[in-house]
Amino acid sequence: MPESLIVLKNLSKRFGKKKAVNRISMSIRTGEIFGFLGANGAGKTTTIRMLCGLTKPTAGIGTICGLNVWKDRFRIRSRFGYVPQKFSLYSDLTVGENLRFFAGAYRVPSQKIKARTQKVLCDLDLERRESERAGRLSGGYKQLLAIACALIHEPILLFMDEPTAGLDPTHRQAIWDLIYELSQAGTTIFVTTHYMDEAERCTDVGFVDGGQLLANGSPRDLKEGLKGHLLEVQVEPAMTAMFEFRKLPGIFGADLRSGNLRIQAEDPDALLHSWQVHWPFPGLKFLGFNWVEPDMEDVFQAYSRGYFKPDGDHPAPVKLAYKV
Amino acid sequence: MISWTAIEAIAYKEFVHVWRDRRVMLLIVVLPPFFTFLFGHAFENSTIRDVPAMYFDADHSPQSQEFLALLKAKDIFDWKPWNGDPIGKIDLFTAGVDAAIVMPAGWGQGLQDGDPKPIRAVLDGSDTNTAPSVQGALQETLGDYQSKKRDELIENLPDEIIDLGKQLPVPIRHEFSSMMTPWDVKVETLYNPKLSFIDYVMPGIVGLILQLITVTLIASTITREREVGTLSQLLVTPLRQSEIVIGKVLPYLVISMFLIASTILVGNLHFGVKFQQPLLLSITCFLFLLFSLGLGLLISSFSRTQTQAIQISIFFLLPVMLLSGAFAPLGQLPRPVRICSELFPLTHFCRAFRNVNLHHSHISSIAGDLAFLAVGAIFTCAGASYLLRIIDD
Ligand SMILES: Nc1ncnc2c1ncn2[C@@H]1O[C@H](COP(=O)(O)OP(=O)(O)O)[C@@H](O)[C@H]1O
Ligand SMILES: [Mg+2]
Repeated sequence: MPESLIVLKNLSKRFGKKKAVNRISMSIRTGEIFGFLGANGAGKTTTIRMLCGLTKPTAGIGTICGLNVWKDRFRIRSRFGYVPQKFSLYSDLTVGENLRFFAGAYRVPSQKIKARTQKVLCDLDLERRESERAGRLSGGYKQLLAIACALIHEPILLFMDEPTAGLDPTHRQAIWDLIYELSQAGTTIFVTTHYMDEAERCTDVGFVDGGQLLANGSPRDLKEGLKGHLLEVQVEPAMTAMFEFRKLPGIFGADLRSGNLRIQAEDPDALLHSWQVHWPFPGLKFLGFNWVEPDMEDVFQAYSRGYFKPDGDHPAPVKLAYKV
Repeated sequence: MISWTAIEAIAYKEFVHVWRDRRVMLLIVVLPPFFTFLFGHAFENSTIRDVPAMYFDADHSPQSQEFLALLKAKDIFDWKPWNGDPIGKIDLFTAGVDAAIVMPAGWGQGLQDGDPKPIRAVLDGSDTNTAPSVQGALQETLGDYQSKKRDELIENLPDEIIDLGKQLPVPIRHEFSSMMTPWDVKVETLYNPKLSFIDYVMPGIVGLILQLITVTLIASTITREREVGTLSQLLVTPLRQSEIVIGKVLPYLVISMFLIASTILVGNLHFGVKFQQPLLLSITCFLFLLFSLGLGLLISSFSRTQTQAIQISIFFLLPVMLLSGAFAPLGQLPRPVRICSELFPLTHFCRAFRNVNLHHSHISSIAGDLAFLAVGAIFTCAGASYLLRIIDD
């Protein structure tokens, strides 16, 4: 097993009373595509900024290559690249000027600057825009340029904060293809997102909510934990059924998926048996059911509804009320 | 180690920011020479002239007319027709003048009778310069008139009296004749022999304009990056804080050296101000600009938003404008204020510049000022770089 590149031990950040990141412990191995998942305000950006040495952790420690992310921040800076959530390059500089600036800033040797610039321009499909002002690029190209600037010094680790947020599917795909290529070439990727389909593409994910790490593992393992708790039923009218089901004890989630109702329950099997004996909804018509494979969307919902406890991937023994 | 490639990268980028911002470019190219031109004319001449004034001759004697003729020959006054009550209270404001002069009735007779009456002068003291100048002009004219009269008197003395006078003891005779000739001061003006105020005020103008431009230009550079988010991008690179500071100061230093040259050119070509010892003046300018830019950068790394940076700059610049001795000698300020003004780079710049340019001083006489500017430059740049180092947001 490859060694851990990034290690977090009870890493925490408070802003006044607000615990933006609350005792997160996890480790990310070299070569992983690590997806850091969570809703807006979950604490993803704050965690990345702590790892990049931009803000001081209030408690706990984080290390990259064994170096402390705050105390040794001036020493680790040349090893990683950082693509922030908000576009932040020099709008009045051209694409080429931005790249050459960051090449200089990252101490790329001057004789190599030209070749490196050409390489990232080519890799990121920015060749034809080299002399365009960065501020005039469209959203997708801005993001590609931001990634290009973060890659100019060939880092071994790349932090990307919601790189695909707000992009069209073509650019999203382009960015994911790039992530695969980088990963293939040995770069470790730490990417945050709130798109669950993107979570499927990661080799490992961490799921944060309210500053706490609720789950950490490979998508396969996380989905495995949900097996047997997921059932799809065909009921009419589906919308009414969704709201009725959500009130039912033993059901943690009910959502519409392609006209069917997907139910997360502690013991769906038992539910089915009881329904065969007595169907409790006189106004609803039961048409059939089938067992489904959980996807990351389901995992996300299960975790955010408190169905799973932060420690251990087992269903919580206590029944939690459905949270809207 | 500090990397020149890195510094070059920042300096180039900073220069492009200014160069591509056409409005700022226009301002910094046009304003300094224009301001020099404007301020130069405003402060070109400090002698007071054309004070609106009026007179009333209640005496109408040959003497009073003779005196008024002498007074009218002076160009300090701009005479207006009399308006008001010559006996009672004179309201200068409604009369629209700054001085009113009344020759009292019987003035000429009084001179002859050995009982000279005072001339009545009413002066506006609200602007503290005008009244003393007018009073001085009156005294001077009166003195001129008196010695003219005395000469006439001696000229017309009968010979018997002269012979009589010769019987006086020699020392008394000498003392007497000394009393009869006007005593004089022989003035020798050094440093600014033409007494042209523009030569004195030029460094003040140049320094003030440059102080204003350097501080406000550079004060927004770091805060702009903070606002836009590029500061985080800068900080995740292995750039050292000192590289950032040097890289940011360099282009502005070059730009402001050009600006100083342009203002000095206007001073020389348009106002005929001579500049001595160019090397010494250049060193003074260089250190002054370095200190100012360091100060701007310090403000910039201290502020959170551009608005804040500009506000802090203005709070700093206001006392500098008034208390740095740019337009008036510092000696006129009270001691505690003077100590405070010693903290401003502009104070030292103006003093060093004048010492070199007007007093033709040697470097040793301005070493203190230069050292202060140099220490200030190092201190502010180091401060800015420290603030960049501890950024945590
Ligand atoms: N500088 C800050 N000052 C105060 N609160 C902050 C600051 N930055 C983030 N927060 C708070 O911390 C929480 C986590 O924010 P963030 O890390 O940006 O979440 P995410 O990136 O997952 O959307 C949010 O509730 C946010 O309001
Ligand atoms: Mg975020």
